Amino acid sequence: MVTLKIKRQDGDRTWFDHFEVEEKTGMTVLEALFHVQERQDGSLCFRYSCRGAVCGSCAMLINKVPRLACRTQVANVKDEADDEPKDGVAAVKQSEKDEDKNEILIEPLPNQKVIRDLIVDMDHFYSLVDSVRPWIDSQDREPEKVTLMEPSTQEQLERYTNCILCATCHGACPAAARDGNYLGPAALAKAWRFYLDPRSRDKDRDELLELLDSESGVWGCDVVYKCVAVCPKKVTPTPAILELRKKME
Amino acid sequence: MIDHDVLVIGGGLSGLRAALEAKFSGADVAIISKVYPIRSHSGAAQGGINASLGSDDSWKAHALDTVKGSDYLADQDTVEILCREAPERVIEMENWGTNFSRKDDGTIAQRPFGGAGFPRTCYAGDRTGHNLLHTLYEQVLKNKIKVYSEWLVTKLLVENGKCAGSVALNTANSEMDAFRAKATILATGGYGRIYQRSTNAIINRGSGIALAYMAGVPLQDMEFVQFHPTTLWDTNILITEGARGEGGYLYNKDHERFMANYAADAMELAPRDIVARAIQTEIDERRGFPGGYVQLDITHLGKEKINKRLPGIRQISIDFAGIDPVQEPIPVQPGQHYSMGGVSSNKDGETPLPGLYAVGECACISVHGANRLGGNSLLDTVVFGKRAGGAAAEYVKTVENQADEILIDALKNEQQRIEEMMGEGGENFAELRDELRAIMQEYVGVFRNREKLEHAVEAIRELKERGKELRVKNNSSVFNFELMNAIELKGMLELGHVIALGALVREESRGAHYRTDFPERDDENWLKHTLACFKPKGPELDYREVTIDRFQPERRAY
Ligand SMILES: Cc1cc2nc3c(=O)[nH]c(=O)nc-3n(C[C@H](O)[C@H](O)[C@H](O)COP(=O)(O)OP(=O)(O)OC[C@H]3O[C@@H](n4cnc5c(N)ncnc54)[C@H](O)[C@@H]3O)c2cc1C
Ligand code: SF4
Ligand code: FES
Repeated sequence: MVTLKIKRQDGDRTWFDHFEVEEKTGMTVLEALFHVQERQDGSLCFRYSCRGAVCGSCAMLINKVPRLACRTQVANVKDEADDEPKDGVAAVKQSEKDEDKNEILIEPLPNQKVIRDLIVDMDHFYSLVDSVRPWIDSQDREPEKVTLMEPSTQEQLERYTNCILCATCHGACPAAARDGNYLGPAALAKAWRFYLDPRSRDKDRDELLELLDSESGVWGCDVVYKCVAVCPKKVTPTPAILELRKKME
Repeated sequence: MIDHDVLVIGGGLSGLRAALEAKFSGADVAIISKVYPIRSHSGAAQGGINASLGSDDSWKAHALDTVKGSDYLADQDTVEILCREAPERVIEMENWGTNFSRKDDGTIAQRPFGGAGFPRTCYAGDRTGHNLLHTLYEQVLKNKIKVYSEWLVTKLLVENGKCAGSVALNTANSEMDAFRAKATILATGGYGRIYQRSTNAIINRGSGIALAYMAGVPLQDMEFVQFHPTTLWDTNILITEGARGEGGYLYNKDHERFMANYAADAMELAPRDIVARAIQTEIDERRGFPGGYVQLDITHLGKEKINKRLPGIRQISIDFAGIDPVQEPIPVQPGQHYSMGGVSSNKDGETPLPGLYAVGECACISVHGANRLGGNSLLDTVVFGKRAGGAAAEYVKTVENQADEILIDALKNEQQRIEEMMGEGGENFAELRDELRAIMQEYVGVFRNREKLEHAVEAIRELKERGKELRVKNNSSVFNFELMNAIELKGMLELGHVIALGALVREESRGAHYRTDFPERDDENWLKHTLACFKPKGPELDYREVTIDRFQPERRAY
């Protein structure tokens, strides 16, 4: 048996509920949550889609670390050391997790408004990403031809095109916690992805740099690499931000 | 009430491509989706998208492979369109920003896939679907197309013989609204989750197919269900065909490369139906490993190649099976993967109901026939998504809107239907769903026969009866997942019934439909499409000719 200590919210009311779930080998936190939702409390809500760590729906705070519930094994987190930092990210504090082991603390992703239980309002996050105009404008290109691209350029891009927009990084980011207008790691990584892309137009690149050259843009970053540590897709927002800064200097 | 010329239901690849084309053609278009578009199942596609880009390849070769792969059940006129338009669509995706893997000369790299005579599958590592989906979503953003995210469509409205719009539930607050549209495009994906073991996203419940069926539109070839040979043991997360394409081997517990006994020439790269049956036979005849799996070995490819070509597979194996395929073989078993059947529609996505279009996995445009080749489905979404979006935009210029009252009435009826599902006692969705999934897995799986299928049809009939007593106990209005599940389960029960009945009646083996009591293909009696129409007592079956022009049916051998 494993206990899920889940933060609940309904309107302005917040509380913690404890649920006991029978543990199976290989069980993920997402599966454990389904057990609760389907057999114990149908009102518990959380987002999901792929269950395979590719869609980005199920980001939440598990033992104080933002991660994807479908990729997190119950066995790995149920008696996580209380005081050791996980991947450089703030670990569970003794007082917040009950003394006995076999318990997993589950809360909604930070730095976003909670709608209900583990579901947060993603609109703000998406609007930050959308504000960097994340697309290729193919207006002046010959659509019947492929753009030739060095395999090495393709690989460089890949690191950033792998982003699934799960907002895990946003939930771990101290600058995002402080400044609601801060574009955040995902949006800035996305900006760098389009800056790097040989298919972007120079004009768009120049406009992008102008847009990002502010305290809520690349200069807002604390360079503490928390986004890099938590990203489930090994995207590296901090180095992208530093590269963008270099382009501005 | 919400008003648009064209409403696209579904935000996966086919829906996004359709919406873009409708927009380019000047229509007022919106997308509605039960999840945020980039969370759609399309993002999980790994292996790639087919197009005859190579100078020694041709659309005709692609078409022959597709028709042969389909066991001659595909309509050859639509296959021709699929293969002819493929290079243009892939190059367009490249221009819009898809991060395709490259050859040294900078052109798009291609890998071999099962059933193909040429390395024709363009890919972006093993995250092709993710790359394509984000690319199309970026273009949707750029073109400022309105998206209603986290809305579940629960009913299509038919008035005066036309589709007049739909009713949907806003999952964030459980409020319902009517969407008036002159044209509606269904792009709602497959029904994988009616099987216990499926590679599909949890949200793939076929609800769009059920919407069309309940609105009186025929479903086509539903008995053809693709089982992917290599899904990760237990969780059934897909291990892409690309793993075999890159040179992976299949072994049984005696360390035999058993494919030699089933497809001596093509070996691991035989089409999916053949490899899936081979693996299932090994398991059934106790040459699998305890627990029911065989091994997919890619260790000999070496770390560098695995990291470069199959990084996602490596990560999936580590995260979900606790093994690193650089060092150890991957435990795999067959699982439901793709819905070959679907809403009957033509080369422009038109269904028999004017104003209703269907594209992508929810549709049966009949390019995949009895067995889809890997890499042809992503292609299907963009080729026919574009065509349907364009056709719908033209169509809306010729029709008038339906009057308000009709939609308001429909909305009220639908609100009442949903209201009646709420309450204590009765049946629970999770129990009924689990029973349905077990029945489909056991009796309507890789190997079928009359006894099993008769049992399935009967058992599903009973579940449908019990389904009438389904009650939703949770009365929260904010993200009431129990309610959404219950609504969708009703449709799943209908689809299960259609699949099982179609399979029972089709007394032959063709592609993925394999009857142990009728192991041969029977062109004389069964070279035809199944059509299933909703009747209150159960589906009514009818049949239609297959379009054959270029390639005459031959025995399939690999
Ligand atoms: C794991 C996996 C890997 C694959 N790999 C490949 C590959 O390499 N190559 C290939 O060619 N094919 C592949 N396929 C198949 C291919 O990915 C799918 O067939 C294709 O992506 C389907 O796209 P779609 O647009 O039709 O549907 P989906 O992407 O499934 O989108 C359906 C959309 O409809 C919405 N929706 C559904 N019901 C409703 C409703 N009632 N109301 C509102 N919205 C609704 C959903 O929210 C979603 O946005 C793979 C499939 C799987 C399972
Ligand atoms: S950068 Fe990583 S953590 Fe951030 S949204 Fe993208 S995938 Fe998620
Ligand atoms: S459910 Fe898709 S990332 Fe977890």
